[in-house]
Amino acid sequence: MNDARHHRQRILAEVGEAGQQRLERASVAIVGLGGLGSPVALYLAAAGVGRLGLIDDQPVERSNLNRQILFEEGDLGHPKVDAAARRLRALDSSLRLDARQENVRASNVEAVVAEYDLVVDGTDSFETKFLLNDAAVLLHKPLVHGAVLQWGGQVTTVLPDEPCLRCLFGGPPDPDDIQTCEEAGIIGSATGVIGSVMAEEALKVLLKAGTPLSGRIFQHDGLAGESRVTSFPRDPDCPVCSPRALITDLARYEEQVSPRGQVLV
Amino acid sequence: MAGSSLTSEQRQRYARHLALTEIGPAGQQRLMRARVLVVGVGALGSPVALYLAAAGVGTLGLADHDRVRLSNLQRQVIHSMEGLDQSKVDGAARTVSALNPDVTVETFAETVNAHNAMELLGAFDVIVDGTDSFAARYLLSDAAYLLRKPLVHGSIFRIEGQVTVFIPGRGCYRCLYPEPPPPGAIEESEQVGVLAALPGIVGTIQAAETIKLITGVGDGLVNRVLLHDTMAMTFHEVRYRRNRACPVCGDRPTVHQLADDAVRGVGVAR
Repeated sequence: MNDARHHRQRILAEVGEAGQQRLERASVAIVGLGGLGSPVALYLAAAGVGRLGLIDDQPVERSNLNRQILFEEGDLGHPKVDAAARRLRALDSSLRLDARQENVRASNVEAVVAEYDLVVDGTDSFETKFLLNDAAVLLHKPLVHGAVLQWGGQVTTVLPDEPCLRCLFGGPPDPDDIQTCEEAGIIGSATGVIGSVMAEEALKVLLKAGTPLSGRIFQHDGLAGESRVTSFPRDPDCPVCSPRALITDLARYEEQVSPRGQVLV
Repeated sequence: MAGSSLTSEQRQRYARHLALTEIGPAGQQRLMRARVLVVGVGALGSPVALYLAAAGVGTLGLADHDRVRLSNLQRQVIHSMEGLDQSKVDGAARTVSALNPDVTVETFAETVNAHNAMELLGAFDVIVDGTDSFAARYLLSDAAYLLRKPLVHGSIFRIEGQVTVFIPGRGCYRCLYPEPPPPGAIEESEQVGVLAALPGIVGTIQAAETIKLITGVGDGLVNRVLLHDTMAMTFHEVRYRRNRACPVCGDRPTVHQLADDAVRGVGVAR
């Protein structure tokens, strides 16, 4: 491949020639091309991840542009997946990009997750976040989870046989307790911090380098200027990743989990 | 300030800011009136400029003497193949204007040095350090203090990064690092490795600190430096104070103007 482009990564001991080749052979599904997906897609493309699945069913809107740096004014009204593919090709035309203009749901999650080496969750709905967690656990795929609101957010990395999102939270919060970005607001730089950490985590997992945020959660409060990492254990009664799992089969997901992400069985 | 002074397009573009208690219409107006100078439009300057442009900072000054090289595109996400071998500031200006045509971009395709720093920095409200050399960091810190301008410092080296904010009178880069690196110390350069997204983490925190300075909200990273190890994915904070013996911002300063050698008397080899 192109030696000069990724020179600075090749000479990093933690990457090296073998690591760079590993990235070039790797595939990542980026679910959600919004505030988080923007830096994730840009940095994974820049790093030389060979194949990116770009998954989003939305068009670019003007209210996206305070934080979604993957897009520009000229993209307004166009599907995000197409605009994203254009921008990433302008950065590196050799990348393989799958523009999938769809939403991830119980009925298609397996097809999406199974096709890639790693999944990055850049979505903005808790139901989808738990769906991706459950699919990643059941399909033994690494997942990088991130979420943002207002000035801050969180990141954790779910690796096969390690603690998952349900070990930490059980299930999604009560809908009455959820504030959306539309209601509560969000500053672009917060999505940038969280998305950049997510991209770095994805690269580390693909490279098998460093210590990912597995069993640890990074929490960032940009307003206070505080960043902390806290450990959490595996839940022996976790509804999806423990021996007593209640969520067992993606084909029967809608019988086992409510549309709101709560365990039914 | 009334939100009605924003156009309907601006109300859409900045809808998520208007919903934030800490920003709202008044904070958005402050952002739109602000003048921020980003020195160095490389690994750190890319996310800084992108996120400040997205936030609607009124005037962005972009200073960099370099041209875009292929090896930059591994992490400098404001640039693209189209800008290869061209001036970094011109490439960055194109990306910024396409993202947010409201932003006025002023480009300076030159090295910031002792001769031009005071005039250049003097025209802006906040300075963001996206440079990659000790000499440039000392120079910007001295100039920002002498002009009494806040400076948002960020730097990366291999797998580590750091961010802090220097408010004049509350400490400067020389207070944090009174001892310069030894002659021949390795600096961030083409010979040092970096993983793509590390500068994203550092640069976006710099952008957040800049937005907080402009809008006057939150607790800035003042008198504390955030240290990040990206392989361990850890974040630590170290507190520091103004050094009363600092030659620039101490009680009896000996430096009152910039000298040709930015690290004068402190002997950094370049």
